Formats: sequence, C-alpha cells, structure tokens
Amino acid sequence: MSLKLDFSLDNDTFRHYLNGHAVVMHSHHYLALMTKLAEEFDTIGGPQLLKDVVEESMWAVFNDYVTQNNQSTPLQRCNVGREYYSVYGLGKMKVAGTENGGEVCLIRSHIDEGWIRKWGRHTKPINHFTCGYIAAMFAVAFNKPAKSYTVVETASMAVTGAEGTFIVTLS
Amino acid sequence: MTVMRDTVVKSLAKINIQGDENGLIPEYDVLVNQLPAALLNLFSERLMAAAPPERKATVADGLVRAAYECGYHTGCGIITSEAFNDVVLPMVTEGEKDILRGAFAAFTAWGWAKSGIVQLKDGERMVIRANDYYEADSGGDGLRAYMLRGLCQAFFDLTYADPYPNGMDTFVCQQTKGIEAGDPHGEFVVTKK
Repeated sequence: MSLKLDFSLDNDTFRHYLNGHAVVMHSHHYLALMTKLAEEFDTIGGPQLLKDVVEESMWAVFNDYVTQNNQSTPLQRCNVGREYYSVYGLGKMKVAGTENGGEVCLIRSHIDEGWIRKWGRHTKPINHFTCGYIAAMFAVAFNKPAKSYTVVETASMAVTGAEGTFIVTLS
Repeated sequence: MTVMRDTVVKSLAKINIQGDENGLIPEYDVLVNQLPAALLNLFSERLMAAAPPERKATVADGLVRAAYECGYHTGCGIITSEAFNDVVLPMVTEGEKDILRGAFAAFTAWGWAKSGIVQLKDGERMVIRANDYYEADSGGDGLRAYMLRGLCQAFFDLTYADPYPNGMDTFVCQQTKGIEAGDPHGEFVVTKK
C-alpha cells in the first residue's frame, strides 16, 4: 500500500483522526441500517442523498490527501481513493477507466457482505454508499469538482453473492 | 479495586485496527468500519432536513435504531474480547456495574463520546453525561445525538437485560441535554421500556 496513514488521537477528547480527518469506528450493522433507512425514504430521494453525502465527504478527504502529498497523475490520485476504501474497512476494488469514465469491480464489500450477514441476499443493488465513493474517487483522480461523474451499480454483490460492478460516466 | 476509568480509556485508546488483505476489518464478531465522522453527521443532518415534518420522528428513530443494533451486537463482541478481558476484567469487583463502567470507558476510548456514568440504579436506570461527542458537530435543530442514544441503550441492554442475543429492546434511552443544542454537556437517560 502506498497510502501514507497518519493515525492520531486527541488525548483530551479521545477523538481519533486519520490524516487529519476525524474517524469513528462502527460495524456492518450500522452501515446496513443506514442504507436501509435511505431506501425507506426513497420517496424523498434517500438513496441519492446517501450517494451525495458520501461523494461530498470523500471528495474532501481525497482532495486534501492528493494536495498535501503532491499526487499529480490520475493513476496516483485514483489510487488514493482505492486504497482508502480498504483502510476504512469497506472492502477491495479494482478500478479501470479514463477521464471519460470507467468500470469498478468490487471484489470484497463491507456493505454488501454486511447486508447479506444481516438479512441475506437482496433483490436489487443496495450499495449507494460506494456509488458516491467512486464518483468522488474519479472526480479527484481527474481533477474535477464533485458531481462530475454518474455511477451506476450494474451488478450487485448483495443480489448475487459474487463480485459487484459499477459503471462510471462523465456527467 | 473497581474499574479505573482513566486507565482503561488510555489502554483501549491505543488499540489501532486496520483492514486485512481484503480491505475488511473482522473484529468483535462483526465487520468493523472506520469512517469520517463528518460523513455520518452529514447523512443524519441531510436526511432529517429532507424528511417532511410528519416523518422526521421516523428518521430519528431509524438513526437511533442503526446505532442501537450496531452497539448491541458489536458491544457484545467488545465486552467478550481479548482486549477487554485483558484490560478491564482484572479490575472488576462489582460485577455487572463494573462491566458497564468498563464498557463506557471503551465508549470513550474508541471515540464515540467522552462520557461516563453519573447515576446508576442496577437494572433500572442510568444517566450518562458526555462532555464531547462527534454528533455535537452536526447541523440541524434540537437534540440530535441519535448514535449516542442508541449506544447507551444497547450497553444497558447488554448489561442488565436477558443474555445476548435475547435482551434487545428491554430499555430505552432519551437524550435530555445536548452540546449541539447549547447545553454544556450531553445527557442521556436510560430507563425500562
């Protein structure tokens, strides 16, 4: 892994930080139920809201990292998002693409595998979180603002139990 | 000797968890994640803001529930973990009460909230005071430490309700004060449902 990891602890508040951003530990139950809550509020755009929140939040984290560490090429910058995914415990992904878009293969997935552990397989894709995450990863890789890419989950691990696929297009 | 909170907090806070070769963190009988607190706060804030007035309570209940189930299942893994056994159990002299004290020390050590028990009536009622918690940074209106409410309830259920996994939803937690609402600290009261 090439990502520099600076874990620190505030000895007064006991808040934990990773590369300057406060992080907190939860389990697959939490993200599964957050995902389900977003789905239950589909009529007010819950899944899209979750994607947008993740994209905005992760864009800031990735952009800080590439700026502070002088990551200049798209490959270097994209790798930041890919490696952070594993550091956060979210799983493992393979990424292919250009500035115009690409494809991400999810080999392991905290969210999908967590969903299956909790409720079994589902009938439709549920990984809205990772859609937003990938959109942020591509935007920072190609030096664009958030909301530059659209990501659709075309094959879902929560449905099939096999690897997931996400298609990325320039908006 | 009873549980020395500061010792436990300092010992447990040093534990650093990281992903395995698959980018997963299987610990405490669950899959663990460690995400930016700002992301979690923003999700709660945006979903609450988007919900129509008649459904805001349902969103709040859902946010509390997510934390509760996370806390109940993960909490069981924590209080039966090797780390907890090594650090906390040697100090336990008052049974369940000390396990609960140790659990809230872990609560602080892992960055959920700098908090502690201020009142405890065995198996009936508990008051938690939190002097710092990440949800205090969230935007929105009113008391909104949904995650803390869920976790306080979960830890009390684990300690005083029927043994895991049969003790869910025995107690309930209400937030009575919040830093996010202008109070000097957060306060959480757990009572029988």
